[in-house]
Amino acid sequence: MKYEYWLSCIRPLAGKKKELLRSSVGSARDVYYIEEKKLREMAFLTEKDRETIRNFQKKGDLETEYDRLLERGIRLVACHDPAYPRRLKRSAGYPYALFVKGRLPDDDRLSVAIVGARQCSAYGERQALRFAEYLAGRGVQIISGMARGIDGAAGRGAINGGGDTYAVLGSGVDVCYPAQNRGLYADITNRGGILSEQLPGTAPRKEHFPARNRIISGLADAVLVMEARERSGSLITADMALEQGRDVYALPGPVDSTLSKGCNRLIRQGAGILLGPEELLEEMVSEPALAALLPGEREGQRECEKSDKNKKVLESAENIVYSCLGLYPRDTSSLLEETGLSPAALMETLVALQIRGYIKEISKGYYIRTS
Amino acid sequence: MSLGMVYSAALHGMEVKFIRVEADLSNGLPMFHMVGYLSSEVKEAGERVRTAIRNSGLEIPVKKTVINLSPGSVRKRGASFDLPIALAILASQNLVRQEALERVLTVGELGLDGSIRDVPGVLPIVWEARKQGYRLCIVPAGNEAEAALVEGVPVLAAGSLAQLLDLLEGNKLPSGKRKTAIQKGKNAETAFVGDFQEVRGQGAVKRAAEIAVAGGHNFLMVGPPGSGKSMIARRIPTILPPLEMEEALEITKIYSVQGMLEKDTPLIRHRPFREVHHTVTKAALIGGGLIPAPGEISLAHKGVLFLDELTEFSRPVLEVLRQPLEEKRIRLTRKQGVYEFPADFMLAAAMNPCPCGYYPDAGRCTCTPASISQYLGKVSQPFLSRIDICMDTPAVEYRNLQGSAGEETSEKIRQRVCLARERQLWRYRAEPWKTNASLPAKKIPEYCALGDKEEAIMEHAFQKMGLTARTYHKVLKVARTIADLDGKDKIQSCHLSEAIGYRLPDTKYWGNLC
Repeated sequence: MKYEYWLSCIRPLAGKKKELLRSSVGSARDVYYIEEKKLREMAFLTEKDRETIRNFQKKGDLETEYDRLLERGIRLVACHDPAYPRRLKRSAGYPYALFVKGRLPDDDRLSVAIVGARQCSAYGERQALRFAEYLAGRGVQIISGMARGIDGAAGRGAINGGGDTYAVLGSGVDVCYPAQNRGLYADITNRGGILSEQLPGTAPRKEHFPARNRIISGLADAVLVMEARERSGSLITADMALEQGRDVYALPGPVDSTLSKGCNRLIRQGAGILLGPEELLEEMVSEPALAALLPGEREGQRECEKSDKNKKVLESAENIVYSCLGLYPRDTSSLLEETGLSPAALMETLVALQIRGYIKEISKGYYIRTS
Repeated sequence: MSLGMVYSAALHGMEVKFIRVEADLSNGLPMFHMVGYLSSEVKEAGERVRTAIRNSGLEIPVKKTVINLSPGSVRKRGASFDLPIALAILASQNLVRQEALERVLTVGELGLDGSIRDVPGVLPIVWEARKQGYRLCIVPAGNEAEAALVEGVPVLAAGSLAQLLDLLEGNKLPSGKRKTAIQKGKNAETAFVGDFQEVRGQGAVKRAAEIAVAGGHNFLMVGPPGSGKSMIARRIPTILPPLEMEEALEITKIYSVQGMLEKDTPLIRHRPFREVHHTVTKAALIGGGLIPAPGEISLAHKGVLFLDELTEFSRPVLEVLRQPLEEKRIRLTRKQGVYEFPADFMLAAAMNPCPCGYYPDAGRCTCTPASISQYLGKVSQPFLSRIDICMDTPAVEYRNLQGSAGEETSEKIRQRVCLARERQLWRYRAEPWKTNASLPAKKIPEYCALGDKEEAIMEHAFQKMGLTARTYHKVLKVARTIADLDGKDKIQSCHLSEAIGYRLPDTKYWGNLC
């Protein structure tokens, strides 16, 4: 195994070449002890590749290095290992080996990737939470990138839903990036796994992220894009997902919101439209399997009742203010103008609504609905 | 007799110390010697005084001249001892009668031609002189109006040494009656620019500003560039309540020490509004120097100190404001002693919500969450905890820029503010403080009593909205002010709810916005 580790460590050598090399000599150990003459026979290796391999052969103490990884709970899964995720193996450009902390996604269970903007709106964040929570609660594995914003919300939602969630990082599996997600990192390690093709200890670098995105889409059966600007990493993930033959779904948003432009464009290009987690599940799963996942529940009705109830309880001023608010934050000045209330009355109403949990102040003076 | 004695005074910060100036002319080697813990500018007085006396047509014999300024333990600075020294020398030669200088306080700088020039700090000196029972104050002609603000002690103002001697000889001493009556506010309103009427939209912010002024609460505006934060702040003076005479004199004294008074209309009749640039140093802000001079916070006494672009201020500079914001005064300790300046001001501040200014408008904001939290982190929590009212100022829509219909004038707002202040004055008539903002925490239950319904709201807000103990007290004080504006004796639920809306976002929002 330590030879596998050694082979994985040769970063400058492409994964495909490593695999060819390994299969032509037999095992990673044989690659390590390969003779100069034999190395020259490999036609697919350039002079530079040979140089790299020779340089790496002299490198340090493999045994202790590998043992130290194991001690920290990090495993190495190479692509010919039966444990290597099947879905990923079948997709183009799969990495030679994955470092794993925790578990690997179960090949026999449905898995869905949820990706989106790091700087997202409250709307996107809430939908990511909701989709992840619902799907995870029904046995679907959630794959995400554990970044800020949508990715983090998806991970958090999956944990709230009591399901399994996996994060693919652009840094080493032992590097928590961003650092604020430390809590989430710990939870994901316990409830699923952290995956990365980078060597442990690697710092996050921007060139790692597109490669990381192809693993996310490779591990999933479907990719849900929650919010994406017109030029964004989430769209790269969506492109890769299409190349890998995955279904892509996008969350529709207002046409004038820059954060939803990418999603709306995906929809126009033929991506599936996310109307709700229930519909998504129905679409992805055949009828008998669905029945197993949903033990006789239909939530739609309950939500309808709830919103009716809201209306009854609210007083007229509160009703006016509440109806002006939506999923996108509104500031006090524009509310003042739209409602026609006095500043004092508006402030009073906003506080009353907050106290009763109907609305939320997401930043000083900016309010959104909570349900 | 060859000994002359004249009384003068030295300023140490705001404190007046009386100085006795003695001059002795005796036989011996001709020399001019000055003693008494003098700074170099006082030592230079010798040259000025001798030349000025000669140029006034008088002669002093070439003798051994010793000048002593006592007490010797007090450091003497400035040029205001020129005139007392000259009078002491003249008195020693009987060119001025010593009796005419008994219980007379003298300050003034001399020019070589014998003219008497203005000096700073005349008002506090004359003020103290009256308290100490001096019978007359001799001041430079340029400071006459300023000295005349103090009633109960006659003031003799002269433009030159020769003129002064004539007046003293002629015995035509002024009575205690005011020659220059307290000027009617010429400089008062003219100093203001603008009116709240010119601020389009932003009704909620204007309301918050009104409450802040009515209760003397510290006020923070957060909003994107161009949303009118500075515009609103600069119009705060137009709704400040008028000054009482006592307060006006207090402010004028500080400005007098700084030499910042107008010659003809010295009395400061409007509340000061001090806008400080973010490159300000600690010393300029709170006062400083070897012998400290008042800083911006003291110049804003009884008025408003405005800090624009709060996040750009260096952190140590903001931190020094913490103590004066609590204590309403600043104590500066130096080797020579402790100097105390009043600093009872209302803080108004403005800042952007993020480096680009557009957060939380996700479409326009280009900042990363990390840069936002770093930006907000520039202002420390202890500093923020001294802010009572926080308000967002969203970007102004185009349609709001047109037409001025329905915008209130500053005068109208000011009337409401004044009524609310009167209610506070009456309520706190037996207490040392005057505004809701300075209500101490232990007195809050007494003055901000809540009914059952209001208690319930507070309890809910505490749990649901994550209020902290610190915000709890501030909400109550602001609610008290809102009730005062509303003309109510009891805080009602609507006042309380509104006050909760003005609270500062707690740490959760402030430190971790995304």
